[in-house]
Amino acid sequence: MTVDNIKKNAMKYTSAYPEIGTGKLGVEPIISPALFELERERLFKKVWLKVGRLEEVPNVGDYKVKKIDVAHTSIILIRGKDGGINAFHNICPHRGNKIISETGNETFGHARANVLSCRFHGWVFDTDGPVRSIPREEAFSSLDKKCLGLRSVHCDVWEGFIFINLDENPTQSLSEYLGGLGDHFSGYPYGDSTCSYRYSTVLNCNWKVALYAFTEGYHVSTIHAATFPSLATLQHTDFKLFGPHSTSTLYVPPAEGIVTTPATAAFGSVLQQSERHRPHLDQLPKGINPDRREDFQFEFPSVFPNFLLHLGAGAGYPGMTYFTHQFWPIAWNKTLWEGTNYFRPPTKPSERAAMAHVNALHRNAWLEDTGTMEDTHEALTSGVLKELVLMDEELMIRNTDYHWRRYIGV
Amino acid sequence: MSALPTGFTKLEPFVRDWAFATEKKRSEKRWSSTKEDFQVFYDAMLECLTSAFEEIDKYEIGKMPEQIKILYYLVLAFAEASPHVELYKGDSKVPYSFDAERFVASHGDISD
Ligand code: FES
Ligand SMILES: [Fe+2]
Repeated sequence: MTVDNIKKNAMKYTSAYPEIGTGKLGVEPIISPALFELERERLFKKVWLKVGRLEEVPNVGDYKVKKIDVAHTSIILIRGKDGGINAFHNICPHRGNKIISETGNETFGHARANVLSCRFHGWVFDTDGPVRSIPREEAFSSLDKKCLGLRSVHCDVWEGFIFINLDENPTQSLSEYLGGLGDHFSGYPYGDSTCSYRYSTVLNCNWKVALYAFTEGYHVSTIHAATFPSLATLQHTDFKLFGPHSTSTLYVPPAEGIVTTPATAAFGSVLQQSERHRPHLDQLPKGINPDRREDFQFEFPSVFPNFLLHLGAGAGYPGMTYFTHQFWPIAWNKTLWEGTNYFRPPTKPSERAAMAHVNALHRNAWLEDTGTMEDTHEALTSGVLKELVLMDEELMIRNTDYHWRRYIGV
Repeated sequence: MSALPTGFTKLEPFVRDWAFATEKKRSEKRWSSTKEDFQVFYDAMLECLTSAFEEIDKYEIGKMPEQIKILYYLVLAFAEASPHVELYKGDSKVPYSFDAERFVASHGDISD
């Protein structure tokens, strides 16, 4: 075997995608405040960003306000009269006050009588945007009320996930943007999983340090040695790239998964023996785990630029149908991370307790993951390293970086 | 009268320290527990876990009478405490990990 062949074998997934290359990962994009300013304008204000789930605003008039620090704005996502989702900047077209006072990164509420009103001077808006009434309207010299509605934002829904695009004229629709990845993940009944456990924290690191740490399985046998000792046999395979997005699959032979101790077995079996919560490989979209392998853990994609959607269908972590990560830049060196575990609602107390156990294990694994990020960031800011090397199964990081550079133009 | 349903009086000594309605309170208990605290609680709970499941499942979520609720809270505490015995060698923190107090549980308190 020639040296070239050996190299090719070592990079079997990566070599299937010659266009993204086999180069190193630059450190500059992680530690440069100037590049972060470009990311704001050229990336986060241009692409489709996942901002919520339909189940978060189930009824007409329900809203969620999501702060998007990287774009210096907050977005109101509100269930309109026709049942669809409307998205607006949270700003009053009169003098710029926030329409809804926010209580944190996410604020939930309900618009009574399908109107939103600004508490500064009392302007009232329809939940689909137009201004409905202006106190003492006759005192304004001239008003073009058509131009004084709430400032709308492009919004679309894919499989119950609400996305926005902050560009005034997006170059692609959401379905064009998601492309083949959208098809790959379509058809799973995500909406059934109305029970969620959500964690967030602000990490003192660049958002890509956090994203990349969650975009590979190489760290599992080391970083998760304590919480998931049985995942040492993990197979990370079936890599597929769909433009800026990518996916892959985790299998762990033999099929015992994480269930190896008396408590994990006791709680795990509560869920695995329940018709509702047991692994439902049959519900997976056809292209995911096509052979319906029993040691399937979850499908592991990267939805460009800042969203990870892991679909397990109850197989990997008992009862857990899917889980998500999202990474919201606050500054070049500060990131809001959000992690959510989704389950179908429990039918009895033991199921709720079993979910609490599975959730606790996964939360603990996330504590292991996030434990590296600030150290990595701090060390990289030293500038000692200019480039980082990537192994074959770090392909999804490589793909994100490749497309990141195309958006930023560097 | 016992705080717990009949058949679970052996768990009585753990009620004061472990039976909390909220994840936050249970976490605070975990973070301040010793290896011995975890082990005695773990041993007592594991022994009766199956019968505790049966007992709490006689009721619907959200409709548990007070004594059952206390037992349920102990089961929840065990759900979160058991990894410290089985996986973390009695450490009150997840070894080599991020500061757990910086994680915000944005789902609020799911107690039942
Ligand atoms: S700023 Fe909103 S009504 Fe004046
Ligand atoms: Fe991890």
